Amino acid sequence: MLPAITARLEGYMDLLADRQKLVAANLANLDTPGYRTKDLDFQFEFLSQTPGGTPNVIEPTGLTMKNDGNNVSLDRESRLLAENALRFNVATNLLRNELRTVRKAIEEGKGA
Amino acid sequence: MSLFNLLSVSASGMAAQRARAEVIVENLANSETTRTPDGGPYRRKDVVFESEAQASPFSAVFQTEMSAGSMGVGISQVVEDSRPPDMRYQPSHPDADARGYVAFPHMSPAEEMVDLMGATRGYQANVAAISAVKDMVSKSIDLMK
Repeated sequence: MLPAITARLEGYMDLLADRQKLVAANLANLDTPGYRTKDLDFQFEFLSQTPGGTPNVIEPTGLTMKNDGNNVSLDRESRLLAENALRFNVATNLLRNELRTVRKAIEEGKGA
Repeated sequence: MSLFNLLSVSASGMAAQRARAEVIVENLANSETTRTPDGGPYRRKDVVFESEAQASPFSAVFQTEMSAGSMGVGISQVVEDSRPPDMRYQPSHPDADARGYVAFPHMSPAEEMVDLMGATRGYQANVAAISAVKDMVSKSIDLMK
């Protein structure tokens, strides 16, 4: 019915939403003592995605640890926040084009 | 897709930073207070942040979805600074002791202002997160048009 690409786009958007969730949690815990940054390995999760599966949450290494044992970097999270929103925007636009194509085909068929 | 649950995570961050700012403002307002209900000078307060799971009416549904990741933040307690008060020599002050010294709260305006800037920054970061999520939700809704 729908092109195969739509399912991939849907998975991509789900993964972006999950990642955005982790970014929001990191930002909320910007000043929480002992909190470690949480993220997911986007490339790996996207390539090994199964419908209904949950991605693995990892704690990225190499971030500067503050005195209170918290390693959330405001710059890193701000970048990811913007990046995820933009990628999501691209994905929704692509998906909308796919849907428009199908809808167009349906509309064309009505005239017959 | 649980973008809506995400809003409550960011909202908890905003609430926590706001409470922190309120405590800092209280400290600044009482920087010269020498009388409190408990006796003695005012003691500056600090909030302690703690990660906590954000419960929502749909939490049963969300438990299957990365529940470990959706940690908001809350205030576990408000602690009082244990540093000894500043003793200043002011014999004319009504609260002066026998030697003419008055106990003032131990507080540095610079320290409080830096803390306040940190709270403001954290609040703004959470607002930005909410804006980004709202944008994502409205883009998803646009798919239906």
